[in-house]
Parts: sequence; structure tokens; C-alpha cells
Amino acid sequence: MKKRNIRFYLRIYRKILAQDLKSKMSYRADFIISTVGMIFTNISGFIGFWILFRNFPSINGWSYYEMLFLYGFSLVSLTPVQCLFDNNWSLRQNVYTGDFIKYCFRPINLFFYYQSEVFDIKGLGQLAFGIGTLAYAWGKIGLAFTPLMLLKMIVFLLTASLIMIAMQNAAAAACFWIQNSFYILDLAVRFKDYAKYPITIFGPVFRFIFISSFRWRLSRTIRAL
Amino acid sequence: MNLKKYFTLTRAGMIEALQFRLSFIMIAVGNVLYLIVVYFLWKSIYASAGTDVVSGMTFTDTLIYLVLATALFNFMEMYTVWEIGRSIQSGKIVLDLLKPIEYRKYLFWSYTGSFVTQFFLTFLPTFIIVAAVTHGAIPLGINLLFFVLSVVMAVSVNYSIDFLVGTICLYTESIWGINIMKQVIVLLLSGATVPLAFFPEGLRKIVMLLPFQSVYNAPLTLLLDGSPQTGTVLKTLGTQLFWCVTMTLLSKLFWKLSLRKITVNGG
Repeated sequence: MKKRNIRFYLRIYRKILAQDLKSKMSYRADFIISTVGMIFTNISGFIGFWILFRNFPSINGWSYYEMLFLYGFSLVSLTPVQCLFDNNWSLRQNVYTGDFIKYCFRPINLFFYYQSEVFDIKGLGQLAFGIGTLAYAWGKIGLAFTPLMLLKMIVFLLTASLIMIAMQNAAAAACFWIQNSFYILDLAVRFKDYAKYPITIFGPVFRFIFISSFRWRLSRTIRAL
Repeated sequence: MNLKKYFTLTRAGMIEALQFRLSFIMIAVGNVLYLIVVYFLWKSIYASAGTDVVSGMTFTDTLIYLVLATALFNFMEMYTVWEIGRSIQSGKIVLDLLKPIEYRKYLFWSYTGSFVTQFFLTFLPTFIIVAAVTHGAIPLGINLLFFVLSVVMAVSVNYSIDFLVGTICLYTESIWGINIMKQVIVLLLSGATVPLAFFPEGLRKIVMLLPFQSVYNAPLTLLLDGSPQTGTVLKTLGTQLFWCVTMTLLSKLFWKLSLRKITVNGG
């Protein structure tokens, strides 16, 4: 078989994406409600912080704006997994009902085809909210805005996203072994919630567990790709 | 009233829930992870505060409150909105409506089975662990009775809210968005994310007037109160009862009105 290059996959992705958007647009109310729901979730996280810092001046030396910075960072880094890998949530249903077999018969990369089928637009709202929070906190902390800082930021965001993607894929793939992987996925999602807190608040033992489990997942994904 | 048909549903639900044994382990693991995070987070928060008591809550109070709120959440979450939404999309709802039992009751009683299993497999262990970790900071006395009473009403209020929101799916055919909005609002305004005691005064007053605080805040405050005053207990339980009745009536009425509008694609 001829080796497919990245251009081929990008073209296919564009075509599948267009189909997905068309079908999404036929449920306009759902789209609007979902976007509003997404914004609600982000605002509530924000309010949680706000209430917390009205009672406490700092958390382990981390100020309000520093925590906001982390929160914004986690929102932005979660966007790729939210937008591009949303089909993971249906994987368990597909495997359970047997619909998954249809993906196996396509002459393109199975993983690519499955994930490309759904693009979650509401993740873009999260991206905007995250960038806004990040920029706001950036200014308030008084961090210098230099090209080097920006570059660092982008590299960190990219690697953080990769970790999140790896985590979710691993969790979703658990349904090949056990039928109901919802709880594992849910667990992975909750895990990511902890990402908005600085790791220094955890004791050394748990710090070690968190960090090494991330590393393990990352290496698994790289191998899978 | 013949309760037999309801208990049959309970039994079926229990058997169904026990089919997915691994999911219990996952929930347990999730709870433990959450416990660890909440513990460290609030420990460092209190360490930076400099005082032991903040807004009338000590560290152990906060820990018990938040951990048990999560345990209650796992126990009470019935995925009602998802169930109704999916039934509408697949058309299964037509079959459910034809059953010789009210849909609202049918849905509720088919979940009671997982109440039983969830209670023994997740809530009780969490409760015991928390009681052990905090060295018996949970007062054991008459407040346990109030807590149980309060939880029963909380389940009812929570179900009514869920059912009300689920009915909206009849109009919008949107599940994810509606559900996430409900979840966020309920969790934030009921005190499950940050205890209501920490809310700024004005905001708290408003929140206390809403039905959501009856779901998590009311039972947990009753539980943490070692020497309950008759007045406050009656007020809390009374408010819950009020919301119980109001929300039940509201959700029933809304369902009845919406049923005329129902459109089912496919099925």
C-alpha cells in the first residue's frame, strides 16, 4: 500500500469535518445551549476561586492571580482534547453495540478516522474564555511579555495538551477490556480538574505518583502514534 | 397502595447495577483520589489562613462537608436528564409512556435499585473512612437521624429538579448542554464545590432562598451540628419539606403540559 502523507490526512479531515459541522448545524438549539453550558462551567469555576479567595488571602503562597493563571492555562491546554477527541465519549457505546466494526473496514488509519468523525465546536468557547483568563492574570501578575516567554508558553501548552490527550485516549480505550469505561473516562476527567491546582500543595508522595503517572501515559501515547 | 410493582423495579435495578462490578471499583478509586486532593488543597488553604476557624468552619468540618457532598452526589446522581433525553431521541419514551405506571414514578423507582447498591458500596465506606480519618469528628447522636431524614428529602428535591430539567429536553432535543448547565448550577449553589458558609453574605442570602441548598447544604449542615437546636433543625427540615412539595408539584405540572408537545423522531 502506498504510504499516506500528512497532506492526505489533512484533506480527509477537512472533508469529514465539513460533514460533521453540517449535521451539527441542523440542531442549532442544541449547539447554542451546549455553548452556553460550556461558558457556565467555566464561569462557575471562576466563581469558586473568587469565593475561596474572599475567605483566604493565599493558598500555600499562591495568590489569586497566580491561581487564575493556572486555571486559564489548564482551560487552554484542555481545548485540543475537548475539540478533537470528543468521539472518545461514544467509543464505549460503539464497542458495546458493535458499530465499531465499521471503522475497522475503512482503508485509513483507524484511530485517525474514528477521532476525526466528531469535532466539538463548543470547546472553542472554552478556548476563548481560557485565553481571556490567561491574559488577564498575565497582566495582573506583572509578568514580562517577551517573545521568549510567549514561546515558552506555547511549548508548555502543547506538551500539556499532549498529556491530556494521552490520558483521555487511554481511559476511553479501557472499554476494549471492560464494557463500561464511562467511569474510567469520568475519572480521567476529574483527574484533569486537579490540574488547576499547583502541585506544591500535595505531599511529596502524591506529587511523585501524579508526575510519574503522567509520564507513563505520555510515553504510551507516543508509542501508539 | 400496592408497593409491589415499585419494589420489583428496585430489585431489577439492583441486579442491573451489580452487573457492572468494575464500575464500583472505579467509583471507589475516584472517590479516594478526590479525597486526597480535597484533603491537601484545604489543608494548605487552612495553613495559609493562619486561623483554625474560617467563617465558622474548621478544617475537619470543611473536609467532611466536601467529601460527603461528593459521596452524596454519587449516591443521588441518577442521570435522569440523560435517560429522558436519550429515550426521546431513540423513541423508547413511547414504550415507557404506554406502561401502566406514571412515567415520573417509573423512572424514579427503576433507579432505587442503584440507590441501595450505591449506598452500601460507596456512601457507607466513604462515610466510615472520613469518620476514621478525622478521628470521630462527625458527631454521632440524634443528628444522624436528622441527617437521614434530610437526605430522603434531598433525594426527592434533587429528582424533581432533574425531572424538570429533563422535561426541557422535550423542547430542545439537547442533552449535553442542558445537563451540564443543571449540574454546574446545582453543584455550585448547593454548596458542593465550596461550602455555603464561605459565600459572601449577600450571595448566601440569595442562595438560601433557592431550592438547591436543600440538596447538599441542608443534610450536611445537620450532620455536622453536634448539639442541634430544635429551632434550627425544624427550620432546615421545614424548608426542605417546602421545596420537596413545591418542586414535585412543579415538575409534575410541567411534565403534564409538555407531554402534549412531544415529538418523537424515529422510534
